Amino acid sequence: MIRIAAVGDVHLDEDVVGRFRPALEELPDCADVLLLAGDLTRHGTEAEARCVAQEFGNLGVPVITVLGNHDHQCDQVPQVVKVLEDVGITVLEGDGIVLECAGGRLGVAGVKGFGGGFAGRCASDFGEPEMKAFVHTTEESADALGAALRRLECDLLVALTHYSPVPDTLAGEPLEIYPFLGCYQLGQAIDSAPTALALHGHAHHGTERGTTPGGVRVRNVAHPVIKQAYSIFHVGDQLDRS
Amino acid sequence: MTGQPGDPPPDEYVEAEIQSMLAEDPSVAEQGITVVCRERGLVLYGEVESPHRREQILRRVAERFPDVPITSDIGVTRTQPPSQVEELP
Repeated sequence: MIRIAAVGDVHLDEDVVGRFRPALEELPDCADVLLLAGDLTRHGTEAEARCVAQEFGNLGVPVITVLGNHDHQCDQVPQVVKVLEDVGITVLEGDGIVLECAGGRLGVAGVKGFGGGFAGRCASDFGEPEMKAFVHTTEESADALGAALRRLECDLLVALTHYSPVPDTLAGEPLEIYPFLGCYQLGQAIDSAPTALALHGHAHHGTERGTTPGGVRVRNVAHPVIKQAYSIFHVGDQLDRS
Repeated sequence: MTGQPGDPPPDEYVEAEIQSMLAEDPSVAEQGITVVCRERGLVLYGEVESPHRREQILRRVAERFPDVPITSDIGVTRTQPPSQVEELP
């Protein structure tokens, strides 16, 4: 069994530094890894990234993240990534990593993802160049996630995104904004590999639990949804028996 | 008859403008706040990451819409460690 801690949408800036740290100090006793589901900052500045590094760096467990839409706001993604990587946080975007945990090899593939909507109620690759560009972004992101998931050789496979792969975990959000909160293509990507768990954030008014059409469990770990510093999932009981 | 000079904008447009301001104003940048029109004014609800941000939201909305009665029901998201684990066999 592998113990996964996860949270998203922590939106750090100077005014939040220190709020999560007492709970994070407990992680080495209760988790093998911490996964962050994007929107680490408010505006995606290098200064805010330093707050994230201070709060989530040097925790005693590996920390893996994807970025969210807020982390792109100020067009400083390379600087943000560097600040995070300098404290040992792994930033995934269309790629993956395998960690050797006590319970087995954990593979995590991650991508920010994008909106687009869900089957039958989604944007189409048709019409104006702006609409085509929107849908191409959706598809490219999902394709990158699928390829990364299928590439990983591990005992337990987890998908990490900011945008949602299913509508289930958006329940509580206005239906009208679902196309801005996720897309079915991410779910398709997750179902194209033997994924055990999919984690996402972004939907602050959504709900915790859902499943993809292929039966993969999905959890919305946005901080306002879980209402605690992080959630912990024990996954892969079968690893203890093999 | 609406649309005369000096008429206050319909509530729906005020709601939309507040929502845009909350998301786009760099000093706020919150997409998780909902604006609801009630009989006695607008109610803001949702959660933010610090008391400072809640104050900032209310200050910015009051500056921009000084004549609109605003009620706040914005909470600060708790950061305690989890008391339970979810087992996913």
